[in-house]
Amino acid sequence: MNKPLILVVEDDKPIRNLISATLKMHDYKFIAAENGSGAVLEASSHNPDIMLLDLGLPDMDGVEVIKRIRSWSGMPIIVISARSEDRDKIDALDSGADDYLTKPFSVEELLARIRVAQRRLSVIQTDKNAATSLFINGELKIDMAAGMVFLGDEPIHLTPIEYKLICLLAANVGKVLTHTFITQKVWGSSWENDIASLRVFMATLRKKLESNPDCKNCIQTHIGVGYRMIRIDPPDKE
Amino acid sequence: MNEHILVCLSSSPSNERVVRTAVRMASVFGSQLTALYVRTPDYETMDPEDRKRLEANIRIAEAAGAETVTTHGDDVPEQIAEYARLSGVTKIVIGISTVRRRRLLFRPSLTERLFELVPGIDIHVIPYTGTLDGYYGKKGTFKQSVLPSWKDMGITAALLAAATGIGLLFLKLGFTDANIITVYLLCVFLISILTKGYTCGAIGSFAGVILFNYFLTEPRLTLRAFGTGYPVTFAIMLAASITTSTLAAKLKAQAKLSAGDAFRTKLLFDTNRILQGAKDEKEILTITASRISKLLNVDTSVYFADESGLSSGMLFFAGREESENAPAEGSDFEAAQWAYSNKTQSGTGIKAHRSVKFVYTPIRAGDSVCGVLGIGAARRGTDTSEKGIVQSILGECGLALENLRNAKGREEAAVLAKNEQLRANLLRTISHDLRTPLTSISGNADTLLTNRAMFDDETTDRLLSDIRDDAEWLTGLVENLLSISKIGDGSIQLDVSDQIVEDVLEEALRHIDRGSAEHVIKLETGDKPMLARMDARLIIQVIVNLVNNAVKHTPDGSAITVRAVSDEKHAVISVSDTGKGIPDEWKGKVFEMFFTGDNDVGDSRRSMGLGLPLCRSILEAHGSGLILDDNVPSGCVFSFKLPLSEVDLNE
Repeated sequence: MNKPLILVVEDDKPIRNLISATLKMHDYKFIAAENGSGAVLEASSHNPDIMLLDLGLPDMDGVEVIKRIRSWSGMPIIVISARSEDRDKIDALDSGADDYLTKPFSVEELLARIRVAQRRLSVIQTDKNAATSLFINGELKIDMAAGMVFLGDEPIHLTPIEYKLICLLAANVGKVLTHTFITQKVWGSSWENDIASLRVFMATLRKKLESNPDCKNCIQTHIGVGYRMIRIDPPDKE
Repeated sequence: MNEHILVCLSSSPSNERVVRTAVRMASVFGSQLTALYVRTPDYETMDPEDRKRLEANIRIAEAAGAETVTTHGDDVPEQIAEYARLSGVTKIVIGISTVRRRRLLFRPSLTERLFELVPGIDIHVIPYTGTLDGYYGKKGTFKQSVLPSWKDMGITAALLAAATGIGLLFLKLGFTDANIITVYLLCVFLISILTKGYTCGAIGSFAGVILFNYFLTEPRLTLRAFGTGYPVTFAIMLAASITTSTLAAKLKAQAKLSAGDAFRTKLLFDTNRILQGAKDEKEILTITASRISKLLNVDTSVYFADESGLSSGMLFFAGREESENAPAEGSDFEAAQWAYSNKTQSGTGIKAHRSVKFVYTPIRAGDSVCGVLGIGAARRGTDTSEKGIVQSILGECGLALENLRNAKGREEAAVLAKNEQLRANLLRTISHDLRTPLTSISGNADTLLTNRAMFDDETTDRLLSDIRDDAEWLTGLVENLLSISKIGDGSIQLDVSDQIVEDVLEEALRHIDRGSAEHVIKLETGDKPMLARMDARLIIQVIVNLVNNAVKHTPDGSAITVRAVSDEKHAVISVSDTGKGIPDEWKGKVFEMFFTGDNDVGDSRRSMGLGLPLCRSILEAHGSGLILDDNVPSGCVFSFKLPLSEVDLNE
């Protein structure tokens, strides 16, 4: 698999150096920008594959950068934020970011997130080629035509809501989906009761998937933010 | 010494000037102002115009921030003196009009009496140059007392007839005149009790003497009398009759006044008791409105004021239990607004408010108006005792509001003081404790930059891991400080939502320090997902602190168990370890800020003593608490409960 081109947007020099050094060490190609307008410029001229974006930029809000980039590109965007407030993350995710990382973060964490984004990238690329009704993620198999979900060869029984949820997560595999996004898609509304319901359904859905050790953590919970399905087995791996 | 000015209210046209002078004096001296009205029996028969004037004067005084007091009694100067003595009044302001009025009755003037009664108090007499003739003319006539009702006349006639009948019977039986006179006296006494005012008593006295003379003395059926002693008998009889009747009438008036007073006192006591239970201004206003509605059997309404003015309101209906939300528009709302912004009573006198159903009175607490009370006129006119009741209840309401404000102020001050102290402690400790890791980080980094070539790999690794550990320690500290700033400033803003307990615990365990690698950390949860109400960020902080504590204070290889079970209504979350436990003498102290156990722990194990107090504050903010128990066979268990929430699943 080709190493992707990564755009690093960070105004703080030590952090930019840290990220650059880490990427160089792991043979990623990267370009760097230190403000929002620079980020938009670099993104449009080099068309990077993945973007690491600091939310607190000197010239414009990170969320604004996401909105501009999303107007032409679906590249995975990982938001890096010093703000620990959930609200900022949710705003960024709802504007189109795929994932988030809170400062202080460890280098391993950063690399793990980049790998997730890489897998998502391949999903986006393969999806373009084949609109298939079959979703396969490791042992998890969703046959959308038949409305069936399998773990290995075992069909698992899901309630209608659980099925809707797993399809939604599968369609956005690798992307963190906010509570609001999911409840809007599944119930069409986003009241507090819907979110509480969502948590219960997700908990039971995860319990059902956990029966297969391979799928144990294929759905991640992001407290106060949302959920994400992790791509377990990169499809391009031969 | 603080001045306390007392101004005497009356219905006289001159009184307005007196009140205004007193208000000016009070503002010059910066003193307390009390407006006193002595309610005499005359009040019942007061001319409507005078009454209106009196009420206007009361309102002027109230608008100027005076406390208005009404006392009941016959003797005006005595009442004023009594109040002045009891309330520590230093100056009395009074109009001259009242003085002349009393002079008509051939008594020492009010001011003269006052001088006698309260020699130590300054009395300011405000003269009035306008004409008061009409006022006194009315006062003197006793309009209603002169013309007693037909019923009273009937009673008088019947009793006189009965007395005469008994007299004739006594005469026949040969009893002496003395007995008959006593019967007449008794008759006059009864007349005075059974009729209103003094008139019937007086008529009865004269009529009794005449009837006695006409029917019962020789020669009978004439107004002449033979006996030489009779003129004297008649005179004494008349005097006795008049005295009796006056006394009886006075007694009756007094009884009525005190009965009214007792009723009012009881009412106020009850109202006061109910108001004491109120928790906020809104509740106080609501109680006041519903009580007035119930007691007077009228419709009432109340509008609550907030920073932006009048907002919501409630309506109460006579004879009905339930209340309604009052509309925040329409002419009634406008009238309420008017009363609110002008701080005076609205009325039908204002043209724009003609169609308004209620009379709106602003209710103050201190300097600001905190609501407007509307009283409907369900029946024609409001009689005086009812007005008194309303005034009294409003007074109680104002008192309750003031108490509430004072209590709130005291509470705020106490919290502020406590927070200040906490903040000072915190800053001192932080600035001291931050230096150590920062010194280590910058020192180690510096060493590595300049002398790297001289170190072997092992030394380099050690220096680097020191930098990392210190940075991690700082990270943990910053997290705790953030939570403290959220909790500690007195305005706890929990971001509560229903969370799956297992998810929260898993998330928390992802944030445990690296130092825990040597410990065995287990997570035990039930099969069924538990949904509990909490601020997830803060509860994660609690778990992280508890687990990090356990890691810090137990030897490598110890087992730490995070467990979540449910009792009927709660999720019980516990963090237990198998260390050596906490000595009993520390158990009370571990929750205190900046307590760090024995301070001889090495630098690598330093602690700021913020973790457990923070955990406890967080749980207290959740309405829960942190419990410390001993683990069996060794170690300790920290546990807390969170309420399980029920959710209607949207299938």
